[in-house]
Amino acid sequence: MAGKPVRPVSAIDQTRRMLSLVTYLRERPGARVADVARAFGITEDELVSDLDVLPMCGTSFRGGDLLDIDTDGERIWWHNPAALGEEAAEPLRLAADEATALLVAARAVATLPGLREGDRQALLRATAKVEAAAGEAAGASARLSVTFESEGGVFADVDRAISERRRLWIRYYSPARDEVTEREIDPIRLVSVGHTYVEAWCRRSEARRTFRLDRVAEIRILDEPAAPPEVELRDLSEALVQPAVEDPEVVVEVGPGGRWVAEYYPHDSADELSDGGLRITLRTPDPASLRRLALRLGRDGRIVSPPELADSARRAAREALAAYDGVEAARDADADGR
Amino acid sequence: MAIAKAERLMNLALCLLGTRRPLSKRELRDSIEAYVEAVRPEKGAAGSEDSFNRMFERDKDDLRELGLVIETVENLDGEVGYLARRDSNRLPPITLDAEEAAALGLAAKVWQQARLAGAASGALQKLRAAGLPEDVDPYEAHGALEPRIPVHEAAFEPLMLACRDRRPVVFEYRKATAAHPEPRHVEPWALECWRGHWYLAGWDRDRGAERVFRLSRITGRVRSRGSGFTAPVPDVVTVRETVASWAGEIADRSALIRLRSGAGYPLRAKARSVRELGDGWDELEIPYGHGLDAWLVEFGPDVVVLEPAELRADVVDRLRAVAKG
Repeated sequence: MAGKPVRPVSAIDQTRRMLSLVTYLRERPGARVADVARAFGITEDELVSDLDVLPMCGTSFRGGDLLDIDTDGERIWWHNPAALGEEAAEPLRLAADEATALLVAARAVATLPGLREGDRQALLRATAKVEAAAGEAAGASARLSVTFESEGGVFADVDRAISERRRLWIRYYSPARDEVTEREIDPIRLVSVGHTYVEAWCRRSEARRTFRLDRVAEIRILDEPAAPPEVELRDLSEALVQPAVEDPEVVVEVGPGGRWVAEYYPHDSADELSDGGLRITLRTPDPASLRRLALRLGRDGRIVSPPELADSARRAAREALAAYDGVEAARDADADGR
Repeated sequence: MAIAKAERLMNLALCLLGTRRPLSKRELRDSIEAYVEAVRPEKGAAGSEDSFNRMFERDKDDLRELGLVIETVENLDGEVGYLARRDSNRLPPITLDAEEAAALGLAAKVWQQARLAGAASGALQKLRAAGLPEDVDPYEAHGALEPRIPVHEAAFEPLMLACRDRRPVVFEYRKATAAHPEPRHVEPWALECWRGHWYLAGWDRDRGAERVFRLSRITGRVRSRGSGFTAPVPDVVTVRETVASWAGEIADRSALIRLRSGAGYPLRAKARSVRELGDGWDELEIPYGHGLDAWLVEFGPDVVVLEPAELRADVVDRLRAVAKG
């Protein structure tokens, strides 16, 4: 399933899940494996691995003991639900980390600009109920907070276009070229990772692209239906822009003041330099787009290669300085004339 | 083959939840197969006792981590017993409708950090066991929206725990422009994620003042410093305002620039006023906050700063550095 975090299953997570599972199964004799897996947000394989462990477990001080739970792969049967006393099968209170994880996430999503009002209200109601049920455990959740940035109006239009399966027309700003271009896109999904992006099939480039909402200068929902080709959804959480191996290499050397480059640009390597700086190697389909970076770095760094990129930044800086000579001259002339 | 840890934890949890009287360590050891195996004689009597004790302590901590309240009770003979009372472990009644269930389903999958992702799923599973409606599949409810909380910083988890438990920490921190990191002793208050980056607010013991740290600039391990907090924790901790001012989002002044027609859309989007000059250039009044000079330089020859003189000098200075480079 797209976007589901892949992570190693910890013994704590599995124990927590099995404790909830016994409460759940106790009330549902003959529950279907597929239904239970869906209700618990796990794969059927994960569920079956839990069902392999449960028959080894029990409250051994009651005699009778081990939970006699088995499955034929389709349904789950528990032959001795009494092995677990009425009381031991009650739902458990939320741990501090559980309340924090759920509440912080719910609050963050609820503040996402452009979210449908119905969804927002549901989140706020659910948050209040979970806070009340968690009691003291909810307290620590105030020590974490997350803000998603989004352009509310653009978000709402994209959201509507996705649900109505319609094409969008946008004017979009591309920082690499410092230009605004018009394009038609078939939106696929909205992804918030700090900033909010729409992933879409771009009809102009005939390729999948992600567009950051705060760079959409203008948006219109078109009457034409969206027809994005079936594409495999990637996990976008690591990096929205993934350079290809065949992309040209750029090497940048920065001083201590330019270390932020390594935080903002996905790179292949960042080697420490003796002055506290870094030598960063990255790849980009279009090295010319990094002229901005070279200009921004100023004395905090320089482009080592390709040389054309370093030259173009130098030329741009000289050209810009020439304009200041003009301004200074004009101002001086003004001052003289007074 | 060693018995899986999850099986051992599950048995311990069920024993502690199922009992009405405190169970002694010996009783628990004799009735949980994984413990029986851990103290087998062939492992050597003394060693196995130690390893059982360590295992038992870790297991109790793990169960507490997932929310179990385990009480330690001493009986009349001075023997210590353990139990997890139902009334302190029971989830209070909670009724959520289908929409609320869907909303929580969406929230439960936003964490990209293993510990919190596991905790969020665990919370939802507990609510599921308590009767959270299933008629909508929360994992598919809002298929077009994927909020994700990224956590790439190694310092996140130890700091999260330190904030939770109010434990002072020490870490090596490299300031934005510093060549080398230096140790900082901090009483951590809160963590905040803004634009995909994590920040810590807390009391900086070395500086005797409140400070905000960017987690990506923490190098090496975050270590605990046992003692408690010495400074009061404010009711409201504002990380974002501080970070926003670093990012130049808070601007109390204005700058006047010339911008080539058609260029610099983000500058236009922020402009307080735009005047066409008619010669292929426009004149813009834009907010002037921290970092504006570096940003303006990015536009190269398409921007000329008119006012204030201080900003113009900063930009010219930066351009000269690049021109020489």
